[in-house]
Amino acid sequence: MLTLTLALRNLLHAGLRTWLNVVALSFSFVAIIFLQGFYDGLNEQVERATVAALYGGGQYWHSSYDPYDPLTLDDAHGVIPAPLDSLIAHRQATPILIRPATIYPQGRFRSVLLKGIDPDQTVLSIPSALLKDRSHGIPAIIGSRMAHSTGLQKGDMVTVQWRDVHGTFDARDVVIAEVFRSTVQDIDNEQIWIPLDELRRFTRTPDEATIVVLGQRVAPPGSVGGWDFRDLSFLLRDLHTLVRMKSVGASILYLLLLFLAMLAIFDTQVLSIWRRRKEMGTLMALGMTRGGVIRLFTTEGALHSILAALVAAMYGIPLMAFVANTGFALPNAADTMGFAIGEKLFPVYSPSLVVGTTVLVCLVTTIVSFLPTRRIAHLKPTDALRGKLS
Amino acid sequence: MIRPIFLALAFLPGTLSSQTPNGDEILKRVDENMFSRTRIVTSRMVIHGPREMRTVESKSWQRGTNESYTEFLAPARERGIKMLKLKDMLWEYSPSTDRIIMISGHLLRQSVMGSDLSYEDMMDDPHLPHLYAATVVRRDTAAGRECWVLDLTAKTEDIAYDHRRLWVDEARDVVLKENLYAKSGRLLKTVDVREVRRIQNRWMATSVLYKDVLKEGEGTEFYLDTITLDVPIPDYLLSKAALRR
Amino acid sequence: MIRFLLNGLLRDRSRSLFPLLTVFFGVLLTVFLQAWINGAITSVVDSTARYRTGHVLVMTRAYAKEADQMPIDLALLGVDTLMTGLRHDDPDLLWTPRISFGGLLDIPDEHHETRAQAPVRGMAVDLLSPDSPERTILDVRDAVVRGRAPVRHGEILVGEDLAERLQIQPGDTATLISSTMYGSMSITNFVVVGTLRFGIVAMDKGTLVADVADIQQALDMADGAGEIIGFFRDGVYHEERANAVAAGFNQRFAAVPSSPTAAFAPVMGTLRTQSGLSDYLDYIDAFSVVIVGVFLVAMFVVLWNAGLTGSLRRYGELGVRLAVGEDKTHVYLTLLAESLLIGVIGSAAGTLAGLTVAYYLQIHGFNIGTIMKDSTMLIPNIVRARVTPLTFVIGFLPGVLATLSGTALSGIGIYKRQTSQLFKELES
Repeated sequence: MLTLTLALRNLLHAGLRTWLNVVALSFSFVAIIFLQGFYDGLNEQVERATVAALYGGGQYWHSSYDPYDPLTLDDAHGVIPAPLDSLIAHRQATPILIRPATIYPQGRFRSVLLKGIDPDQTVLSIPSALLKDRSHGIPAIIGSRMAHSTGLQKGDMVTVQWRDVHGTFDARDVVIAEVFRSTVQDIDNEQIWIPLDELRRFTRTPDEATIVVLGQRVAPPGSVGGWDFRDLSFLLRDLHTLVRMKSVGASILYLLLLFLAMLAIFDTQVLSIWRRRKEMGTLMALGMTRGGVIRLFTTEGALHSILAALVAAMYGIPLMAFVANTGFALPNAADTMGFAIGEKLFPVYSPSLVVGTTVLVCLVTTIVSFLPTRRIAHLKPTDALRGKLS
Repeated sequence: MIRPIFLALAFLPGTLSSQTPNGDEILKRVDENMFSRTRIVTSRMVIHGPREMRTVESKSWQRGTNESYTEFLAPARERGIKMLKLKDMLWEYSPSTDRIIMISGHLLRQSVMGSDLSYEDMMDDPHLPHLYAATVVRRDTAAGRECWVLDLTAKTEDIAYDHRRLWVDEARDVVLKENLYAKSGRLLKTVDVREVRRIQNRWMATSVLYKDVLKEGEGTEFYLDTITLDVPIPDYLLSKAALRR
Repeated sequence: MIRFLLNGLLRDRSRSLFPLLTVFFGVLLTVFLQAWINGAITSVVDSTARYRTGHVLVMTRAYAKEADQMPIDLALLGVDTLMTGLRHDDPDLLWTPRISFGGLLDIPDEHHETRAQAPVRGMAVDLLSPDSPERTILDVRDAVVRGRAPVRHGEILVGEDLAERLQIQPGDTATLISSTMYGSMSITNFVVVGTLRFGIVAMDKGTLVADVADIQQALDMADGAGEIIGFFRDGVYHEERANAVAAGFNQRFAAVPSSPTAAFAPVMGTLRTQSGLSDYLDYIDAFSVVIVGVFLVAMFVVLWNAGLTGSLRRYGELGVRLAVGEDKTHVYLTLLAESLLIGVIGSAAGTLAGLTVAYYLQIHGFNIGTIMKDSTMLIPNIVRARVTPLTFVIGFLPGVLATLSGTALSGIGIYKRQTSQLFKELES
């Protein structure tokens, strides 16, 4: 206790010098938490957007469906089983029918996926409500990437050709009701969304679907014959791999930041030990052991991090709260109407991030503060009193 | 109100009268004219690609409509490729890999040698009376000849084209023009017969242009160079063993 | 005078070494961090460049319009001539042809008949030329999970999951069924010599990597390629240079729009225009400014702090100098000059060291895979630093200024000291 009081008094008496170190260290605190929060926010937002737009609370796949094998699509549809049907009736799930099709923009043909979605669904964030207005023909919505690659724009008509379940050709013009912008490529690339009832009628698949998406936080109704449940950890595995890889890259950044802050602490410790030889000698002459002196100086150094945490909290909390609430505007975001996923980025500061960072910085500061004090172990009080550092 | 207008239209000159034959009968006559027990055919397909024109030559041994064996003769790259059709199965043999590949599922929708025809088009049962109910809608001229225009509506569900329109030469019972439609009524493909020749007492289309109307391009020309009808075809030729011969 | 100060600095280690080391490390860290951030956040762009678009990309005009559909009927022809021209005109890029294609991979049983079949997306790259630029751009050898990389014609690699699904082992024969450039069915036998792990499910389940010459042969596209990609030799996307290269090329190959061959005239695009990552590139630019800004402020405070403590520490020495009659302004100026020297030397050395480390990591990269479980992945597990013009100056100026201003502030104390009190102070 004496050590702590003494260390704190020494530290505060050092005045400006202490506060500069504290401020520098507090920058590390804030920067690490701020950036990691930014990063976590980005990941969480991508994950949230993907979940909101596509995965919901998990998906039931028709047993023949394999998104990586387009050849399975012909057979990947079936009547929705009762347990899922009742969820759909309660708006806790929404069915999607996926059929291979060909479109003919400007006389070239290209393969696309024709996806039928209920315009009234509220399970996913896809702006399916835009498919309600059928006054101009069969409405279709496409993503901005698809619009870019096909040259299609809002209001354009495009011929879509597909086959019904019996293999009979059908072709109709659809009107692009809207081009939506989404960060989720999987609802955008090479696909066209049209009303589910129309697609079912055209392909002669009444009451059928390829996948059924559960609402978020809707518990899956257990195993359903002929349909496989795919949970989020399965659906998001690509994203998680990517995040894991990126986080290794990000930790290197924090390491550098921490290293910079430790440079300041180490520098200060070395200087103060060099400068305060007489004081050490006096303390030892008064009966303090070498270990005691080492503890005192280490505590002084370590206290920097406690003070820094407090200072960081003083300006960091309001700053981060502000950013977390207002978000970062992302460039070029609002050029096409649709639903806003990527327009603003909201950092996320989890308790584990804040506590973890604080503990880590304090620990490292303590170690760095301790390192130069080892010289004290060789200190002779008599030399120290005369200002010599042996 | 509708009925009087309908009646008035019926008496206009050039419209259908009581002598109009039954659509199904015309279709049957077309079928009878077209099919023989066996035939050996050499033909050419002229394919207009985005960059260049290619001619693919082949020789084909056909028995009925269910069995056929085709060998490609040109161009050099395609030479030696063989195709065997037995009922609803189709195999292709590639001499460079010594592999027999069964063409099924998705592969059936691939184009044959880059033409506007798919393997599936080749697999379709060509006996139209089996698949469609025909009605005569009007008379018209096609390729400079008087024709019955027939509307064909599918009798079964599992059929590629829900609806077809045929221009049948009134005197020769040969199809001179054909439109293929999607279920929605949208025109998908056209077939134009440019030349008809009399071969062994039958009228046969010997030059035809196939075109996928949704796609840009000039379509695929088909020429029947030689044809021998009703000659015996040995069984071994219509078996998988013949592919590796 | 400078010599005198320098001697002073050199002889008093505590006066020179610690501040110098602080500046040195501070600047080194800043320089390295700036390059690292640049590299780390462009790693997405980097994998796009390596896999899809290169830094610049030559296609036919018609192909460019629907590149994601892999329209090999619209591919480039006369690739050898084009490549010779490109290598001559823009030698600071690596040029190599690639073909993306789709098809079915068919596995025969003992009777040469189909045992298993799966759709594949093929990537044909120059695997076999002894001087292939792909060794730098897309080295598949590192990502082979089982078997080995192709060393002769007729050998291919497939995604690990695809191999599992088709139950094939390295050494097995597989038949690629695809369409030739002219739409005919193409059937070609290959030997699967190894499997790859990309780290992306879609690719692991359906990718085939073959040599470009084999695929030219298989798809009847002699002297043809879907794309020719250009890759800067240092592995870094230089936007202005890429734009200049593309503009020059497009000027040389400006086609008459009405001519029937205009659709097949070559056109060059850049990573930014072809990847659809334009927004992302803008965004990461903004992001890197924020990170480097935060770091710069932190470094400034640390160095400023070091400058301050350095001067405070010499309280006694300055007292003596004032006591023996040295002018206050002179003392102050020498302090400033000393810190300027330390700042300049430390910053220069720090910048040099930082650049060295950054350059090393720009060329060799840091393999994140080694600290991760799935250590053989082809997709961006190598993070590279990226040196930009800013890297050269970002540490230097703040390094000098922070040290100088720290000293300037603490040195003001000199003017506050009373000469009459000096001896008393020094006795204590």
